[in-house]
Amino acid sequence: MAQVVLRDIVKTYGNVYAVSHVSLTVEDGEFVALVGPSGCGKTTTLNLIAGLIPLSGGEIMIGDREVSNLDPKDRDIAMVFQNYALYPNKTVFNNLAFPLQMRKQQREVIDRKVREAARVLDITHLLDRRPRELSGGQQQRVALGRALVRDPAVFLMDEPLSNLDAKLRVQMRSEIKRFHHNLNATVVYVTHDQLEAVTMADKMAVMHGGVLQQYDSPANVFASPVNTFVASFVGSPAMSLMPAEVAVKGTETVLQGAGGWELLLSAINARKAQNAKNGKVVLGARHSTLKLHGSPRAGAVPGRVYSVEPTGDVTFVQVSVDGEIVNVSVAPSVMIQPDETVWIEFDQDRMHLFDGATTTALKAA
Amino acid sequence: MTDTFADAGRSHPKTPVDWWRWGGRVFLLLLLIFTVLPMAWMVLTSIKSQFAAMQYPPQWWPAEPTLENYYKLLDPTNSVGQEFLRYFWNSLYVSIATTILGVVIAVPAAYAFSRFRFPGRAFLFFSVLVRNMFPAVVFLMPLFLMMRWLGLVGSHGSLILTYLTFGLPLSIWLLKGFYDNIPIQLEQAARIDGATRFQAFCMIVLPLSTPGIIATSIFSFIGAWNEYVYAVTFLNNKDMLTLPVGIQRYFTEFATDWPGLMAATFLMSVPVVVLFLVLQKYFVRALTEGAVKH
Repeated sequence: MAQVVLRDIVKTYGNVYAVSHVSLTVEDGEFVALVGPSGCGKTTTLNLIAGLIPLSGGEIMIGDREVSNLDPKDRDIAMVFQNYALYPNKTVFNNLAFPLQMRKQQREVIDRKVREAARVLDITHLLDRRPRELSGGQQQRVALGRALVRDPAVFLMDEPLSNLDAKLRVQMRSEIKRFHHNLNATVVYVTHDQLEAVTMADKMAVMHGGVLQQYDSPANVFASPVNTFVASFVGSPAMSLMPAEVAVKGTETVLQGAGGWELLLSAINARKAQNAKNGKVVLGARHSTLKLHGSPRAGAVPGRVYSVEPTGDVTFVQVSVDGEIVNVSVAPSVMIQPDETVWIEFDQDRMHLFDGATTTALKAA
Repeated sequence: MTDTFADAGRSHPKTPVDWWRWGGRVFLLLLLIFTVLPMAWMVLTSIKSQFAAMQYPPQWWPAEPTLENYYKLLDPTNSVGQEFLRYFWNSLYVSIATTILGVVIAVPAAYAFSRFRFPGRAFLFFSVLVRNMFPAVVFLMPLFLMMRWLGLVGSHGSLILTYLTFGLPLSIWLLKGFYDNIPIQLEQAARIDGATRFQAFCMIVLPLSTPGIIATSIFSFIGAWNEYVYAVTFLNNKDMLTLPVGIQRYFTEFATDWPGLMAATFLMSVPVVVLFLVLQKYFVRALTEGAVKH
């Protein structure tokens, strides 16, 4: 196992930056998720690490070797593909054996390692089958097996779960997590599903438009997103965002919404808001930090109920504030109807303020 | 079929006759007769004696069937047999060379068209197909002049080159469809698993495109095997003739030996039929597989 270091890596296609100056370090044994919407450059980044496409700039280290210009086969990596990429004309045994055969290992060694990997992944009974005779979950296991049979320095995984049905996905999610835990493997995992990233990864790298937005533990990304993109991408339902203007009234700082509502800010939030470049901010809050009230009260903003979605454990209420939808979760016992007028109370300690012009999180300093 | 009718009969006591269906069957039957009859006549004539073949009114069924004509053709000690076998080998040589060279050129070309993005790719791919938009005869004189300039007139090389230009467009086109359908991740996986790009191609992609290679081989083999116009134009030496020309020249030189001609024609069709029967499952797979994503 080894550390992976990306230093200012760039991939351009003509004038388009698919990956723009990304730098990050994956520590030895760490599980890092590259996450973002489609077209954000996460898969390109993974392919750059794998060496499947050439770098336009920057350098990549695996362990203590610079691998920027090495062929994929010389980088000591293994990869699991979204469509598994099992060799259809080979049996499961030969699929697993292929990486070892290519490295000219002894027959007995190959046989032993393949059977060991098959045992770990519980696919021993499938060794004589061909990939098309396997279910999606079994194919997934074979793909994992082919990656782990060689004991590579780094595992690269490109949306390995997205072709599975919902139930199997949850099951394989914990299996991959277990796999990482048992092997203490360095894993770089690409997914568009922020939930997968949050649940599996030690650290997540949120990408957007080829640019690395934030690289931190899921807890930190969730708690303090660096900009409105990360804020709205991570978490489900997404963080609600409302544009507002900063106004100073005597010693107090308030936010004013387009619909005429006002929200008094705490001292620390006031300092943040005053740092906004042109007096405009975006107010962000997660559904669980908000409270709904049936009558006006201080520190609450009025809105109209847009829809009510009971999920059993919790009921999500979408409230329209100045035309922006704000998600609030309430207990399932709360009875509420669309078009009712409600007041949303903000938790000053857990709300987020972003610069209205630059969309970056505002700091109190 | 009968089951369907029985079912229909139970639910509707009086099923109206499906005229479309019966009309279709009659049409197909006529079509079948139209195609099979000449071949049947060819086989029947080939087992008649010269005398029986010329009788009028014709003997539909040979009164005294004989394999004499076949013995004569396949006997290397006999002058007829020598000629026939020589033409047979000439045809085999030209067709096999065309097929092998065709595969050797078409496979990398199709792979490149499928996988690589290079300047002029669309134009080149289109111009490969342009060749097939004109009837083959159009190129007869230009190609003849080119062959003369190259000093190839009269050689088998001139035919092999010509047949390649006929076969390649279709081969490249069909194989490109095949490579398009092989996920690039398979090659990427192989490269990560320790293969070079070339090894990934040979060990993973090539085996997967076998049906396509076989199908295109059959196409170019049959095309070369049956071709007449170019062979008759480019070849002048009697010893160099291919079967279609040789049969036509030899058996009609003085007087038409119909039974001999028919036997020779039948023997000529044997390799194609055998090839097709042996490889037809690949052939069908090739033509359908390109169409469906899996």
